Amino acid sequence: MNWDYLFIQATNGAVIGIIYALIAVGVTLIFSILKIVNFAHGDLYMLGGYCAYYVITLLGVPPLPALVVSMAAVYSFGIVLERLLLTPLYSERTERKDEYGIIVTFGLAFFLRNMALIVFGPFPLRPPSFAPGLLRIGTLIVTNDRVFAGAVGLLLIFGLLYFMNGTIWGQALDAVSQSRDSAAIVGINPRRFNSLAYGVGAALAAGAGALIAPIFSLAPDMGVLPNIQSYVIVILGGMGSVLGSIIAGILLGESQGLFTAFFPDPTRAFAYTNAFGVLVLMVVLIFRPTGIFGRRHVRME
Amino acid sequence: MRGFHVYVLLAAGAASLVYAHLLNPYWMHVAIIAMFYGILAGSWSLLAGYGGLFSLGHMAFASVGGYTSALLVQWYGIPIPLGMAAGVVLSCALGGVIGWVCLRMSGPYLAIFTLAFSEIVRITFSTEDQVTAGMAGLHTAPLFHIASRLPYFYTAFGLLACSVALIGFIVHSRWGLFLRAIREDEQAASASGVAVARFRILAFAVASALAALAGSFYGHYIGILTPSLGGLDLMALVVVMTVIGGMERIPTAVAGAVGVEVLQEFLRAYGQWRLVIFGLVLLLTMRFARNGLLTPIWQQFVRLGEARGAPPAPREAGQEGSGI
Repeated sequence: MNWDYLFIQATNGAVIGIIYALIAVGVTLIFSILKIVNFAHGDLYMLGGYCAYYVITLLGVPPLPALVVSMAAVYSFGIVLERLLLTPLYSERTERKDEYGIIVTFGLAFFLRNMALIVFGPFPLRPPSFAPGLLRIGTLIVTNDRVFAGAVGLLLIFGLLYFMNGTIWGQALDAVSQSRDSAAIVGINPRRFNSLAYGVGAALAAGAGALIAPIFSLAPDMGVLPNIQSYVIVILGGMGSVLGSIIAGILLGESQGLFTAFFPDPTRAFAYTNAFGVLVLMVVLIFRPTGIFGRRHVRME
Repeated sequence: MRGFHVYVLLAAGAASLVYAHLLNPYWMHVAIIAMFYGILAGSWSLLAGYGGLFSLGHMAFASVGGYTSALLVQWYGIPIPLGMAAGVVLSCALGGVIGWVCLRMSGPYLAIFTLAFSEIVRITFSTEDQVTAGMAGLHTAPLFHIASRLPYFYTAFGLLACSVALIGFIVHSRWGLFLRAIREDEQAASASGVAVARFRILAFAVASALAALAGSFYGHYIGILTPSLGGLDLMALVVVMTVIGGMERIPTAVAGAVGVEVLQEFLRAYGQWRLVIFGLVLLLTMRFARNGLLTPIWQQFVRLGEARGAPPAPREAGQEGSGI
């Protein structure tokens, strides 16, 4: 067994896991407030990556501010989308909200993906790296970009955790997720927090996209795979639980990294690594139809 | 005159069969592909529109059917209709199993589960390339060894007619009522004595079998199969077609598929923009006309015969095979 290879896979796994977790907490946040699964989440991630790319290359902004700009832009875009498309979810008159949520977000994903194909073109793009160079620890070599992505990703996740637990807005979000009516009674406007949740979820996805762009490259369909992997994480970590998503994200990234390292046939290892996570998802759902730590499936009343 | 619309549709169907040879090869191809989508949209509407089961793995079953048939024909040299039947049977069984394991899942969880299933199918088909030829594409035996597309047209028409008849029979029987009861409220349906499990499995099995029928026909018509048949893009297209047409009625779902496919050809000059436009139309449809754009037209059409004794001049009954 080659230990260096194993360590590199483990490091890569941790970085990818953090990025996936960043996407997944957005899915969870949106689910806990709006009670829908956002099937367009991977495409917001894609938009974040492209947004950062164009801010860097066209406006000449350094990568780190570009990350912030991209998150802010996709945050605003997310709020616009939520206002335009998701308001029927809060209306008394809308029937079968599950159905509405699934089709609208799935249709939105289709729309954004094809729009990106036209606007950004089908060819992969690679933005300049955040931190060029390599990091050497003994015999272990990791690119600085991965270290950077992992570190900033962790920072964003902790920022979100602080926001959720330490600020009055986060507590208001939690209140809305538990009961919209009670939250309204104590003076929280649930509508505003719908927008906030969708916007923050979108911004986190955008941050993940911008961080991953120098490592993998940008392509209009880059969001499809992370989107599904984020569902794996959300189902494992519990729909609606932010902390669960973070733990499950890193676990998934690690186990996939090690799966790739140990898979007997290296030519197929990468393809089946993705299938492995998806298979875990299916098995979990069969035995726990609402995920491992999931609350019972709640519908928006 | 009750049932007037049925006669109009039968007449339109017969007319399209008689005059099919007048279509030029290009539009005949479009019509065949439109009917392929018609089967998929109709069966997805049985699942999602009637049963409320939002499967995003519908195309995976089509791809299982296509590959099963193509590979069996290639390996054992069995007749193609037999291969297609094998694909349909396998997919029906697989659909039943998927329907069974996801019995306890509802709404988005079911959608995620079926999405996961379709990803696994797609990844397997593209990775096991010494069997399926992967993304390079598996060459399939053609169904007919003639240059003309006319036999394919008749076959597609027949398959679509049989599928629509089968789905129509199911949804107009008590079973359709049970399915709709399950869609509205599963617990209430169960309490009223509907065998929820049985009908959910049945809906999955029938819809998967029909998807496989479409998929295996498609494989033997086009001559090449790639794993992208089971991919997310085609699934999204089928959702777009069904929802734009109106997913709670079979005729509107099928007409939506035919309409979108024909529009796609008319708007060919716009290239990739077509899909963007269809996506936008889907979002607008969901937002402002959730019953689908063709549903009001269909309702008018059904009412035609009831209003007056003498029917007005037969209107454009729509594209070939938009319902039986």
